[in-house]
Amino acid sequence: MDSIQKIYKLLVLVIIGTLAWSILPFLASIIGMLIFSFLFATIFLPSVDRAERYLKSRAIGVFLILSSTLAIIIFFLGTFASSIGSQIKLFTQRIQNDDFETNLESLSTKIEDSLPFFLGNLIPEGDRLILIVKNNLISFFQNILSLLGSAGGFIFISLMVLIFTIILLVEYHEFKRTLVRLIPNKYLEVGLRMIYNIEQQISKYLRGQILAASSVAILSILGLFILNQFGANITLILFIGIIAGLANLIPMVGPFFGMIPAILIALMNNIGNDAALFHKIFGTIPSPFFILDIILMFIIVQQIDNNFITPILVGESIGLHPMAVMIVLLIGGTLIGPIGMLFAIPAAGVIKVIIGEIIFISKNSHLL
Amino acid sequence: MKTIYKNYFKKNDSLNPVLEALKHIPIFNNLYNKELKEVAKLVHERVYKTNEYIFKKMAPAEGMYAILKGKVKINDPDSGTIFASLERNDFFGELALLDEEPRSASAIATCPSILIGFFRTDLLTLIKKSPELGNKILFNLSRVLGERLRKTNQELLKSN
Repeated sequence: MDSIQKIYKLLVLVIIGTLAWSILPFLASIIGMLIFSFLFATIFLPSVDRAERYLKSRAIGVFLILSSTLAIIIFFLGTFASSIGSQIKLFTQRIQNDDFETNLESLSTKIEDSLPFFLGNLIPEGDRLILIVKNNLISFFQNILSLLGSAGGFIFISLMVLIFTIILLVEYHEFKRTLVRLIPNKYLEVGLRMIYNIEQQISKYLRGQILAASSVAILSILGLFILNQFGANITLILFIGIIAGLANLIPMVGPFFGMIPAILIALMNNIGNDAALFHKIFGTIPSPFFILDIILMFIIVQQIDNNFITPILVGESIGLHPMAVMIVLLIGGTLIGPIGMLFAIPAAGVIKVIIGEIIFISKNSHLL
Repeated sequence: MKTIYKNYFKKNDSLNPVLEALKHIPIFNNLYNKELKEVAKLVHERVYKTNEYIFKKMAPAEGMYAILKGKVKINDPDSGTIFASLERNDFFGELALLDEEPRSASAIATCPSILIGFFRTDLLTLIKKSPELGNKILFNLSRVLGERLRKTNQELLKSN
């Protein structure tokens, strides 16, 4: 009888598992939205709690904090879109110009001349180079257009995340109490400790990351400003800095993504400028279009961030071994892509807390 | 009109058993009604069956309990000593609000009981949310513990 019951239980588990697995793709986006909302709520929770203390109304506090944050984001995106728009416009005008073709042609011959003969053969001829660059640029802008096409879906998701975040922030403590109500009496105190530790883990990590991202943004802006003093001619440094800071949220690979906009803009602005093409870093190493300077600057920023700022701000917030961090990042990246990498570390921190509590419960079951 | 307002709109706090129980706990002494309501929003109502453990000796301790309904026995399972039999509006386990030491005794419900739990995490939330209220509770808590210490000293003197 016992074994039959076990088989039944196993069957039910398999059925539930299969059902959950088949439903998951449909629910994945909602779960994703809820995770995002929860993380945003965790970021804003301390300020909402503080605002409630002064305003005596939680709803007004949530409204004020979220609306001011949204206003800042919209202002940033608006200014960024118009600046990048004018930048692209200027660049396309230069591409259509005949000057651009002659510039590109002379660029290819100059690069060929400056490189050793066996590498020089790898540079395509002037005409072919023009064709390749033009085709690639056209497909690049087409990609941007298709990205804009999917903006509708993005707006819907953002709106849903915003609504979930508002509800979570207003009712956070009530939700937590409901969650606690579900814990059996036996595990009440252990469960409470687990919830508190998870909360602490996530909020400490997020706040540390935001502070570290801000510091990277400020340092990058400062670095780009200094490079401009040496004639790098990089525009939109404020936005590049902020993007580098945001990219820094994705550990390990983020900083490299942060360099791309700066390099692209340096290329766009300096094509046709001989001084920039033959620029040498410290007067010795060739660094066409200041690319090496930019990479070096970002590496210095990363080193300052990794060795001085992050250890102080984030500390050993998660307490994972660097090897474990890399494995966790790879798993997150393989499963969900860049967003998976963003959430991999805090998720691993949460799993670590849960496993720790499960081990504690299994070791001390006689006490519960 | 007044009756309609009273019946349908005005919340009658005296009917809220949690609020009533909180008023009887010395840790929440001198708290304004508004502050008590804030505490009531954080506490957890739990239902226990007869002979169900609320906590066992040496288990991890996270907070205190107050009895809303029913009876609770505090005992030492090793020696079999019963330290206290508690009833409605009594409270126990308040030391756990301050330290993380394991429980020094077991607590068992002797009949179907409803308890309210106020835990260290709730106190920390309260301190963050409204430090003034948190300080009041901490001050009351130290007063209760001071009283306990004085009583223990007196009993020690008597026994010597």
